[in-house]
Amino acid sequence: MVLKIFFPQCCNKADSGLLVGRWIPGQNSAVVLAVIHYPFIPGQVKQYIHQVECVCVSVNGKLVQQEKELKEDGGGEKGGTKRGGGEKEVEGEEGGGEKDKVIFIHYEQRKVMLSQLHPIDNGVPDPQTESQLPQVTTYVLSVFGTVCQSEPLFFLDKYDDGPVKMTHWQSEGREGSIIVELMKQASTPVCLLTTWMLTLWTSLCSSRILNMRPMRFISSKLSTCLQLSYRTEHLQTVCSPTRATAHNHFMRKANIFVSFFVDVSLGLLLVSWMYRENRIGKLANTLVPAADHVAKELEELLQWLMGAPAGLKMNRALDQVLGRFFLYHIHLWISYIHLMSPFIEMILWYVGLSACLGLTFALSLLSDITALLTFHIYCFYVYGARLYCMTVYGLSSLWRLFRGKKWNVLRQRVDSCSYDLDQLFIGTLLFTILLFLLPTTALYYLVFTLLRLVVVMFQGVLHLSVDFINSFPLFAMGLRLFRSYRLAEGVKFRVLCEEPGTPLHLMMDINPLKVSSVVQTYRTPTYSCYPKDSWLALCKKLFLGELIYPWRHKTTKID
Amino acid sequence: MGADSGSGAAPGPAVPWRKVLWERQPFPDNYVDRRFLEELRRNEGLRQYRYWAVVQEAGLVAQQISCVALFLTLWLYMEQGLLSPSTLLWTGLLCALLGYGLYQALAPRGDSDNHHRTRWSDLQSASIFLSFTFGFSPVLRTLTESVCTDTVYAMTALMLLAHLVAFPYAQPSPPGSLSLNAALFASVCLASRLPGDLHTSGGLDSSSSPSSLHTFTMLCWALLVFALWPCLLQRLRDCAPWVFGCVCVLVGVCGVGGLGSLWPGGAVLLAALLGTVTLLCPLLLIRLQSDKDNIQGPWDEAEIQEDLTHFLH
Repeated sequence: MVLKIFFPQCCNKADSGLLVGRWIPGQNSAVVLAVIHYPFIPGQVKQYIHQVECVCVSVNGKLVQQEKELKEDGGGEKGGTKRGGGEKEVEGEEGGGEKDKVIFIHYEQRKVMLSQLHPIDNGVPDPQTESQLPQVTTYVLSVFGTVCQSEPLFFLDKYDDGPVKMTHWQSEGREGSIIVELMKQASTPVCLLTTWMLTLWTSLCSSRILNMRPMRFISSKLSTCLQLSYRTEHLQTVCSPTRATAHNHFMRKANIFVSFFVDVSLGLLLVSWMYRENRIGKLANTLVPAADHVAKELEELLQWLMGAPAGLKMNRALDQVLGRFFLYHIHLWISYIHLMSPFIEMILWYVGLSACLGLTFALSLLSDITALLTFHIYCFYVYGARLYCMTVYGLSSLWRLFRGKKWNVLRQRVDSCSYDLDQLFIGTLLFTILLFLLPTTALYYLVFTLLRLVVVMFQGVLHLSVDFINSFPLFAMGLRLFRSYRLAEGVKFRVLCEEPGTPLHLMMDINPLKVSSVVQTYRTPTYSCYPKDSWLALCKKLFLGELIYPWRHKTTKID
Repeated sequence: MGADSGSGAAPGPAVPWRKVLWERQPFPDNYVDRRFLEELRRNEGLRQYRYWAVVQEAGLVAQQISCVALFLTLWLYMEQGLLSPSTLLWTGLLCALLGYGLYQALAPRGDSDNHHRTRWSDLQSASIFLSFTFGFSPVLRTLTESVCTDTVYAMTALMLLAHLVAFPYAQPSPPGSLSLNAALFASVCLASRLPGDLHTSGGLDSSSSPSSLHTFTMLCWALLVFALWPCLLQRLRDCAPWVFGCVCVLVGVCGVGGLGSLWPGGAVLLAALLGTVTLLCPLLLIRLQSDKDNIQGPWDEAEIQEDLTHFLH
């Protein structure tokens, strides 16, 4: 059996002493954590080890520098001597002088201590699942786990006056920073204050006045309100006074905090740029003429439809009726916009200030303003779609009557049916009428659907960017770029010294997680704004004239 | 087993071959004996047609073709302005009344209560027809305004052909959905192509749309010819078969005559068609019966001969 010993790199140059570590039984390996130097009193060492309450740490063996004798105790199961330095030899106790193979695996203790392993389960890295993992993954996990759990062992450094003198990764002195300490002290009262304010805000939002039917309906349609509620939730997660224990929870909090910070700073940048040279005023002044221009274009479009558009033959009477109806709507809309025009600048000025809360708010506001300004296009689309839908359903039903069949609702199939004479007569008349009126309704439906789709695409782009800003894990990405050892996918081994007759020396390096896996694992779940219909279902809905709302918001996922 | 015994050669042992599948026999699987195909029956259930009976049945088809021709003649008359729509309308209503009277007179002896009820429902149906037709006429007259005339004629021809093909010749009384609907569709198409009244449509219009009266008249006549006339015909056939034959001949003659007054060539063609359908096709049918070669045997699907309705009680 091959004996594997994990040896910290920092202890390579240490003075001789006792090796302290953990024996992993199933894998025939030992993880060395620290070296306790001479002189020491064995009783005190034992007491100290019990004191720091490490898990399964026991004295493994002895490191002897330059004379190269490492005595290995190994929990009393196996014995052997090793010679350190240039040559290392192993003698086995059992088996009558057989030479066991020993592999020394060097590891950087600091990196292994701080890193989080993401075992790949079915190709998906997940730092949490431990069941059904291959044996080698649990092995590596146990090695990492040993080092992480022995944190109390590393508190004593060489400047402390304790009963034992040890060498480990922190023995040169513990890391610390004044700024970090100050922030840690200040964070608790800040968190408490923020939590209190957020509770106040949420109780205000759920008060009875604001929860009445019309207000709730409007606020569910406006994406700004949605974004507001979403950010409130985020802040509540970040500012909870309890410390994050699990790695996932910590990463989630860090990601939310960083993205919120970036969002607010970008928003402030935008606000300062917009308000600098009275750009808001200029924007407001161009808004009303832009709306006018859109309305004029629509009027021209309708006049074109009322003639012979693209040489198509329209039914003249229906054409005139529909065209006049829509023209009247546009006239109403223009009057409404002109009524609002004195107040636009003021409203825009105050509303623009809310972009201070973040770039996402500015984008949501833009999306809402677009929706409000193109409300007439939405109305036209609904009218056209309903008319077309009725025509199509009527035609399909009457076509079945034409052939003498009928839809059986119970069996969900088409059955034959014997109709009365008057049913047949009226059915045929209606079928003829609907069939000849179909091109006209279809054309109006097509035109208004295209317009509506343009608006929807624009809004969709805005929503997608908001979603991206909300969910992208900036903190995790930063960690991956600058401290890549903290997010580990696995380990890789490098051969340091391979000579016959001496034990094999390997160096264990940490394999960082792939960038795509980082994004996939640490994405903040949002109210995903992806299209809820596949392309085929969308085309089918368009063909039948059903109303489409492609960017439906899912409810916020509760994690 | 296998190769040495060919089909038809009886093997030596005295074990006879039985036509069963569950027993292992010393014969190959595809062995057949002398009695192969003795259960084959040829041309079972072949009907013997008599020429004049078939001619009589074919008369109904010819009658229907002439009906269509009559309808087209009426339309041609209105299109060329030889008949005013009001005249036709009153004529149509009169014919309807006459036909209704005849229908009731030929009714089988039922209870009079039934008569009253059906008369009331008939009145209801008639009022529904008239009101709907009158109400939809203004819509219908401009329906095919923008469609090219050739397309309209092509659609009409197709629909009338569908009507003739799908007509329930065996029992015309409840009219078949497809045939009636196709005929009505064709009549709507034709009605929209009638010339308009110059007073009703604006004088500067290049496309003169037909007036509502034209459309109304056309639809009323379509209803008469395609929906109500087959019911009367069925009644006649049930009550007085010899009158039925005379009526068919009469209708044929009227059709040819009416078409001939406007288009003699068409009349000749129609007469030829009627003659073929009535006289030539039955001859062909009877002649070709001798070429029939149907085989039936125990391999056919089982048909249940008895009446299973007694299971429903």
